[in-house]
Amino acid sequence: MLSLLLLIPLLGALVLALWPGNPSPGRMRTVALVVLGLQLIWSLLVLLRFDTGLSGMQLQESFVWVGSIGLDYRLGVDGLSMPLVLINCALTLVSAICTRDINQRPRIYFALLLVISGAVNGAFLAENLLLFFLFYELELIPLWFLISIWGGANRAYAATKFLIFTAVSGMLILGAFLGLALLTGSVDFSLTPVTSERLAMGGQLVLLGALLVGFGIKVPLFPFHNWLPDAHTQASTPVSVLLAGVLLKLGTYGLLRFCMGLFPEAWTLLAPGLAIWAAVSVLFGSLAAIAQQDMKRMVAYSSVGHMGYILLAAAAATPVALLGAVFQMVSHGLISALLFLLVGIVYRKTGTRDLSVLHGLLNPERGLPFTGTLMILGVMASAGMPGMAGFISEFMVFRGSITAFPLATLLSMVGSGLTAVYFLLLVNRAFFGRLAVTPATDAVADGRLDVRLAAVAPRETIPAMGLAFAVVAIGLLPSGLGKLSEVASTSMAQLPALVAAMQLAALHPWGVG
Amino acid sequence: MPIISAELVHAGGRPAALELEQQLLSGQTLLSESTDHLIEVVDVLKSYGEVLDAYSINLIFQAEQQFLLPFPLFKYLDGDKNPAKIWRHLIHDRINFEYAEYCMKAMLWHGTGGLDAYLDSDAFAANCAAIIRRKTRIDPLLALLNPLFRGFLPELIRTAATTHALGQFWRVMSDLFIDLAEAEADGRVGSIDAVVEFIKDGLVAAAANPITYGVEVDGEHFWVLPPEAGLTFLVDVAVPYVEAVFLRGMPFLGTVSFNAQAQQISPDQAQFAYGALFADPLPSMGAGIPPSLLMQDMFRHLPERLHHWYRERTRGEGDVRVKICMSFQKSMFCVTNAAIRGTFPQPLNSSEPAAQAANRAYAAAWASRLATARTDCLD
Repeated sequence: MLSLLLLIPLLGALVLALWPGNPSPGRMRTVALVVLGLQLIWSLLVLLRFDTGLSGMQLQESFVWVGSIGLDYRLGVDGLSMPLVLINCALTLVSAICTRDINQRPRIYFALLLVISGAVNGAFLAENLLLFFLFYELELIPLWFLISIWGGANRAYAATKFLIFTAVSGMLILGAFLGLALLTGSVDFSLTPVTSERLAMGGQLVLLGALLVGFGIKVPLFPFHNWLPDAHTQASTPVSVLLAGVLLKLGTYGLLRFCMGLFPEAWTLLAPGLAIWAAVSVLFGSLAAIAQQDMKRMVAYSSVGHMGYILLAAAAATPVALLGAVFQMVSHGLISALLFLLVGIVYRKTGTRDLSVLHGLLNPERGLPFTGTLMILGVMASAGMPGMAGFISEFMVFRGSITAFPLATLLSMVGSGLTAVYFLLLVNRAFFGRLAVTPATDAVADGRLDVRLAAVAPRETIPAMGLAFAVVAIGLLPSGLGKLSEVASTSMAQLPALVAAMQLAALHPWGVG
Repeated sequence: MPIISAELVHAGGRPAALELEQQLLSGQTLLSESTDHLIEVVDVLKSYGEVLDAYSINLIFQAEQQFLLPFPLFKYLDGDKNPAKIWRHLIHDRINFEYAEYCMKAMLWHGTGGLDAYLDSDAFAANCAAIIRRKTRIDPLLALLNPLFRGFLPELIRTAATTHALGQFWRVMSDLFIDLAEAEADGRVGSIDAVVEFIKDGLVAAAANPITYGVEVDGEHFWVLPPEAGLTFLVDVAVPYVEAVFLRGMPFLGTVSFNAQAQQISPDQAQFAYGALFADPLPSMGAGIPPSLLMQDMFRHLPERLHHWYRERTRGEGDVRVKICMSFQKSMFCVTNAAIRGTFPQPLNSSEPAAQAANRAYAAAWASRLATARTDCLD
């Protein structure tokens, strides 16, 4: 059942690549939409079969692929990966819907989009470390192509930077996985937690450190974030949606599944430092966002800040914090995708994202009032306004972390307050005031400029409306997502205690006391 | 690919004061001649004429029938309390009479000319005293309020007098604008110059019309603005109206703050100018911006020719109220042009140096004020 989540998009990509003749961009888009629609429907069927009461992997599929090197084709889904698979299927469909003006090599564009979607599903579902790594790397090259071919003026620079950073990330992760085999002397690449009996703490810390940097680049966390603002600025809107909404989640998923899941003891040891790292990342991302003039860079830096909450929650590792981390992954995926979609609309209509140029876009008749309304909703959600997804996520992260790491949590809460600062700056500059889309020159002359922006067609805002609806729905009815992930996050939180108990049992095989 | 932002903005010309002065003295129109301008001005004035007809009827009704009424709940119904009309009022399927009241208040705030002088005169105070004496005999609430707040009822009577005077002014203007549309339809008017001339002739013809206002209180007739006050249409109402509504205007919430934030409004209160010739049309339909009410009303009465013209431009009906506001601004420059042309102190073709100097001074005074107005719409 799970294999179809990989096969549908990958076969779709193959169909697009082999489509005879020279089909129009519209036809390629339609085929991609059909494939992604099928993928979404299939993911919903998987959701229907998913048992929320079970803590381990479900709907597993496996066969030995290359047994000699420990590469098994083993898929499974749990409460951590299920929401991420759903959000991947939904957001890839959204990014295909909002791809409208691809006239250059549409066949390759949509095929790459499908490959990314399939690869991300594979990474979320993989139960084997090497299989995860294969899928993790598989999405890298298509994304590099999407930025370097269909990106902005400085796309070559941004794409190369992205490639270098994420290639290093991949190398570190592969190095850690292979190092595990080397140090433990086995080719077991399953998701079994590594105990100190199996591997000394020193070795665990080295491997965990490599994984932390590897996934820290992907998340990204300060100071490995440098590639993200450039990649977002140069990527087209659909690629930014995918990058922020889905691909960054590979990093946070990796932190939870592999860093914390494989090395629970070392993780517990490093947790205080990780919490401080999270707070620094949150504050840096927020302060950097305040300084931005480009709307897209501002949203990109906000991602750096908001991903820090997930590291904080993972460091605290309480059931509530981990559930908050899952919520934050989903809500950040939806909210950042929404914000990038809206920034894309503003850019398409005005030709700029410069906050020193744009003003008054909420103008009811000549501006972009509905886009502005959705933007205000999006930034309110991102700033953690109650009633929307951002609030419930941040509340749970802070509530779950405050007892474990009060200082880091309080600093992160300051970062949450700073979100309101930079997003209100964005809204105030770009959407309030007298309508303007050109740099200010003479105040009186500027006040006489007649601005003639093209109207936003209703179909252009349909994807954004869908995301806005989801953001409000999760904010008002969080229990659905909570039920989906609660058992998994609770069992993850119990992992360190479980490993300790296992060790104790190994030391005293006849029981204690 | 994104569009270059410079293509999304249009900057009109802003003629210098000297150029405007020359245009006025040479008899040229401020608004340039073009077929589009003719359609915009004639048709928007036709819709304005129909709206002014409703405003005028209602203002006169309020001043005469709702005079010193403590709770004028049905003041916008013109005396027709038919349930169907009340329902249409409640669901806002109606003319925005509130805009007419805003204009009346603007005239009160920026009071100039004979009407304002008379409202502060002893004769007017005596009229008020007589009216209040009679009214307080039959209205216990006003009898209680009057000794507590001595200035309250006279101020309400001033308001009623301005309301009635504005109603009389708009009666004339409404008929004039609808006549103009008929004249354009039958070929008598075919250019912007002819439009200005037509309006000037209408203003001049009505110039000496007396402005009077009387009320019935407890079966007795009282003059508020008696014939012996000698108030006339042009000097005592039209010119103060132009000063208050065309030039000064009102500090509408939203509009002015948007423009003020962008440093587009003079911080000097004495220089405050946000009237019809100065206001920014772009914020039309923004929250709390009353000129939007007028644009909504004119949209209800838009001639099909102009409606079609709007549908073919920019966002079609999506930004139609902004486009109406822009056309309205052009038409108001024509009305101002006509008023200036009709009030030159000396004939424009006079060869007398003294007469020419007087005209030059008059034109220069107007040109210096208009130079800071939204003249970008003129070309």
